[in-house]
Amino acid sequence: MYIKDLYAISPQKTHDLSFENGEWQVLNEYIYKAVEPSYQDLIPNAQLRRMGKAVRMGIGVSLPILGRNPKPDGIIFGTANGGLEDCIKFLNQIVEYNEGTLTPTNFVQSTPNALAGQVALLSENQGYSMTHVNGSLAFESALLDASLYFDEYHGEEKNLLVGAVEEISDYNYNIDRLGERFKEELVPNVDLLSSGTKGSYCGEGSAQFYLSNNPENSLAEFKAFKQSSYLSENEIGEFVKSFLDEQKLDTTSIDCLLLGKNGDVSTDSWYEQVEQLFSDKPKVYFKKSVGEYRTVSAFASYLAVRLLNGQAGYLMENGATEKPRTVLIYNHFDAVRHSLILLQK
Amino acid sequence: MTEIVVTGMGAISSIGLTIAENLHSLKHEISGIKKAKHFKSHYSDSLVFGEIDQSDESLLNELGLEKGRGFTRTTLIAIKAFREAVANARLSPEDIASTRTAFISSSTVGGMCYTDDLYHDANMQGAPSEYVKHYEGSDHALQIVRLYGMKGITDVVNTACSSSANAIALGARLLETGKVDRVIAGGSDCLAKFTVNGFNSLRILSEEPCKPFDANREGLSLGEAAGYVVLERRADVSDTSKIQAVFSGFGICNDAFHPSATSDDARGPRMAMELALKRAKLKPEDIQYINAHGTGTPNNDVTESFAFSKLFDTVPHFSSTKSYVGHTLAAAGVLEAIYSIFSIQNREVYPSLRVEKPILEFPFRPTLNYTPGVAIRHVLSNSFGFGGNCTSLIFSACI
Repeated sequence: MYIKDLYAISPQKTHDLSFENGEWQVLNEYIYKAVEPSYQDLIPNAQLRRMGKAVRMGIGVSLPILGRNPKPDGIIFGTANGGLEDCIKFLNQIVEYNEGTLTPTNFVQSTPNALAGQVALLSENQGYSMTHVNGSLAFESALLDASLYFDEYHGEEKNLLVGAVEEISDYNYNIDRLGERFKEELVPNVDLLSSGTKGSYCGEGSAQFYLSNNPENSLAEFKAFKQSSYLSENEIGEFVKSFLDEQKLDTTSIDCLLLGKNGDVSTDSWYEQVEQLFSDKPKVYFKKSVGEYRTVSAFASYLAVRLLNGQAGYLMENGATEKPRTVLIYNHFDAVRHSLILLQK
Repeated sequence: MTEIVVTGMGAISSIGLTIAENLHSLKHEISGIKKAKHFKSHYSDSLVFGEIDQSDESLLNELGLEKGRGFTRTTLIAIKAFREAVANARLSPEDIASTRTAFISSSTVGGMCYTDDLYHDANMQGAPSEYVKHYEGSDHALQIVRLYGMKGITDVVNTACSSSANAIALGARLLETGKVDRVIAGGSDCLAKFTVNGFNSLRILSEEPCKPFDANREGLSLGEAAGYVVLERRADVSDTSKIQAVFSGFGICNDAFHPSATSDDARGPRMAMELALKRAKLKPEDIQYINAHGTGTPNNDVTESFAFSKLFDTVPHFSSTKSYVGHTLAAAGVLEAIYSIFSIQNREVYPSLRVEKPILEFPFRPTLNYTPGVAIRHVLSNSFGFGGNCTSLIFSACI
């Protein structure tokens, strides 16, 4: 699967490429809010007002990509929670008005497939349409879906819009805070990995890719990916090694490692085990930039493509390589669900 | 072309706690839509529901699960249907756990079915509930992955009311491309204040049990269900006696018209059916029965009928089994797939119940009574959802 184009809205200034060019936002908040561009030229105001943040950010990323590329054959999204703000607003109405007469806007907006539906509607795309809600592997599932699609149309040129979105709402922040996923004290993102406490900080955003089975003029390739749930900690090294084996690669083939380390002392040891396999390689800790959320691997993939094209190199730690050719992303959520994504130039 | 077959089925709905009970109710025109016994809502008295007649407590006991561990009703009914499907396909624990077995599920309400607990947790009122880590749409699937030690590919989709139909299609694609050797695909949705109030706010709930394809239909009835099918490549199945039907094709597209309504010219539904026929290498006249989406809303039934009128010279038998179980949202696609397979296996059509006066605009009418003795080679099963999602599946007799 070749990446022809990409765009992202994130807690860093990816919307105008400042982030890629070296402008890094220091964040000292519990919540890493996305830096949103003005949507004035993209979305009519009346529609914009009704949109929840997930749908708004998603469309804000989709429409620029669709505007500069031919109409894709399908639209595939991954999101763990979709428009949770709308969802809980509707829920609050249910409880507070004792199931009285409610307005449907929040309900319709809250369905996770609202984004794929809106993008199809706005871009008049009747093609393949799918929304994966596979928790912290939702983006990986979208990638799998896309790879099946390209397999099926082997020999016939096809293009897909594939991406992910997640929004922070007060409510999901509360729920995950009760679930002990976030830190109680503030540490700036620069020092995220040395905080020495449990939990992380909450991020959000949308990253999307225009994918094709035609390699011409591509920026990079999604070479392979793999998921697993409920591994034990002593299996993680083998999980990585067997993945590389399947790709006929070994640890020396990887030029740069992108790790989902999030500063949670209870689960960062998993990353450290993988890190040790690539001890002499440059590393990028992408959650220092955007925080923790369930489809953050889409942002990591976005960043990987930038790195493969000689951008954002300032984020590499433990040495640097000017133009990496092969990069590997390892991410886990709660140390329960694990994902590996391999990208190549 | 790789032939994909269904080798196991499991279902729980308001017309039966097992596939055998579901079949019995279908044959005897027993509807499950009535006043709710277990579901508590402001609308419990004024509306009717396709409620599964088994309490959470009883499900927990039957499944041997511990109380207080965050098992929601969505998860409980999912586990029960999953267990039946894998037993029906005679999968061993090793088969289920294998890296070559994929699990593709779906849900719309997911873990958010206990509205009041979610309200307290989301607004941080008091101590966290047992469900605080279990609200995600994917939680039911993750619980099953954990219980069965599944090591293969897992996925959960949510395309509203077409969700589990898409899960089945996705599963077939994993088999066709050789990514895995067997797939367990389906979905689960239980009754929840969230969806009841959502559909009520759209004013598309019927006060009386729904009557899809009736001229005076007033809307849908909500139901709850879970269902799973086991899919394998025909060439891999050594024990051919467990082959129940062939999964011949699917069509997936987007209506791209409106967030919560189907276009007047039904371009999405038509395209989905056409794509499914093309993939199955069939013509419209090869279809003997259509298990319609047939929600009972004014919009759906007229646009779906319009699509039939454009696609078929002679419209075959069609009915909406939602008249038995209500609209079970994410589970509807797989439940109707299972009912479609029953129709093939037993050579019979289960009717659209309660139709008094068929829709006038069209010269055809749904099957109004239980009709045995119909040779059914191919069934088309439709599922359309909010967000413009349109999916058609085709199941065929095994010959």
